[in-house]
Amino acid sequence: MAGIWIYSEDIILAKELVTPAKELAKQAGQKVGAIALDAEGAKELAALGVTKVIVLQSSSSWVEAYEQVVADVLQEEGADIVLIGGTIRGKYTAAKAAARLDAGLLTDAVKVMLENNKLIAERFVYGGLAVTTEELSFPAFVTIPPRSYEIMTAESEQGEVIVKEVTAEPGITVVDVIKTQQQGVDISKADRVIGIGRGVEKLEDLTMIQALADAAGAEVGCTRPICEELKWMPIDRYIGISGQVIKGSLYIAVGTSGQIQHVAGIRDSKVIVAINTNEKEPIFTASDYGIVGDYADIVPALTEALQNAKA
Amino acid sequence: MQNILVCYKWILNEQEIKIDPNTLSLDTSRAKKRISEYDKNAIELAAQIVEAQGGSSIAISYGGADVKQSLKDALARGPERAIWVNDPNSDKADAYVTANALAAAVRQAGDYSMILCADTSADASNQQVPLRLAVLLGIPAITCVIKLDVEGEKVIATRRVGDTTEKISVEGPAVFTVLPEIAQPRFPTVKQVLAAGRKPQLELKVDDLGLESEKLTPKRTLREIKGYTMSRKNIVYKEGTPAEIAAQLVNNLIKEGVI
Repeated sequence: MAGIWIYSEDIILAKELVTPAKELAKQAGQKVGAIALDAEGAKELAALGVTKVIVLQSSSSWVEAYEQVVADVLQEEGADIVLIGGTIRGKYTAAKAAARLDAGLLTDAVKVMLENNKLIAERFVYGGLAVTTEELSFPAFVTIPPRSYEIMTAESEQGEVIVKEVTAEPGITVVDVIKTQQQGVDISKADRVIGIGRGVEKLEDLTMIQALADAAGAEVGCTRPICEELKWMPIDRYIGISGQVIKGSLYIAVGTSGQIQHVAGIRDSKVIVAINTNEKEPIFTASDYGIVGDYADIVPALTEALQNAKA
Repeated sequence: MQNILVCYKWILNEQEIKIDPNTLSLDTSRAKKRISEYDKNAIELAAQIVEAQGGSSIAISYGGADVKQSLKDALARGPERAIWVNDPNSDKADAYVTANALAAAVRQAGDYSMILCADTSADASNQQVPLRLAVLLGIPAITCVIKLDVEGEKVIATRRVGDTTEKISVEGPAVFTVLPEIAQPRFPTVKQVLAAGRKPQLELKVDDLGLESEKLTPKRTLREIKGYTMSRKNIVYKEGTPAEIAAQLVNNLIKEGVI
């Protein structure tokens, strides 16, 4: 079945992908197909109006190993456009499958459109400094980051689910899989976040930051050097285009300069506040409210003001 | 003994690119080129493996004629020699073309035991070339590697995928993409810089790679690039005591409905 195909190893993300896929399909007068890895999820996709859902079943537990089979199915079906969920594993699958089909791939698309039998997509480059608009010939692969689209409500017309037994040979051996201990919540889902940068001078000051976070009902995150160079916080706490991307209602930047890679991870926040001694730092351009001053004075005052507001 | 190929990209320093606020066009006139930051971590890892285990490493790059200017810096960071593909049309290349050119260069580099790449680049962040390269060369690829241990014939790669850490064992040549934390790049010493000038460099002209023209025709074409702007309120508090400023800010946050 030619048309628009979607794939994600993550069923929630797969359901999100149905939304842009159906928009494109409507424009092109075509149908939406999906490749899934679990039969239960496949039914949910079919209920969303995906015409044909192919479930790949194999004994391999390494999701990346399916890339060859995914490519084979897309080729057999003659897919024109393929939307793949932009997780680490999804991007792996997308790049390998696109290479197998000699196809173009645009990673982390923020917008997809159709125009004269070409896929037009937008994405960020230079760490989020600029946006490109690019044209892809068919078959065109695109990866779409998680939480870019809302999941639609189920449709009356259900699609068919086809289960396929496949062999997925990874060519490697998975020796061990360890779930990292989550240290607190996933900050990418937090509604309020305090982010610290190199302007925060000593590790002890994290106590003051935590007090502010408690008063604001926020989680604490940081810039990349705080994790990688100073190792003050675990790696899953760094915010930026290559780390966590936050989209909550409030972000308070303490002692961050506002390098583009960091700003790209915070700019979908509703309100951004910056505290920094240097008025010329780019973080102030990225903020709704800026406080020029020493965080050691401002942070305790802000904590108190928040506590008073709640009292 | 490891024979390592390490790929890198010669790109504009994005911190030096300015956006014209009126036209949103990119002013790159003051931006100098440099080795993509993340690639330096990969080059360093290659150097550390060779120092510990013996063997050699070769730096490989693809780009325009100006890639020549990058070779000394790349070689000062450890590799014994450098191979670069010179393509006058490289500014239009996408990951498909880049991977095709690099794969052809790799085939001319001789035997190798591993190919190291950064997980992403500081300009396009396509995260495709290493994976495409693995497909073209018919070898496995392991991404997001934070630790690489060579144990006899096997390589054990520890990769970080979200909240999961995976240990993967590979035998035979493979492509590994590494995250920056794997190795902190060195600042080359004067001696290393001087020695780099004497290390062998091989230039491959793209036309001499034997690739069909289709393999050098991009699947993606750039229609437009423009600076991203955000409209924020940009209210700045400079006057007043910390307590006064904090009270004003909290009032505004309440009005915005975020507290």
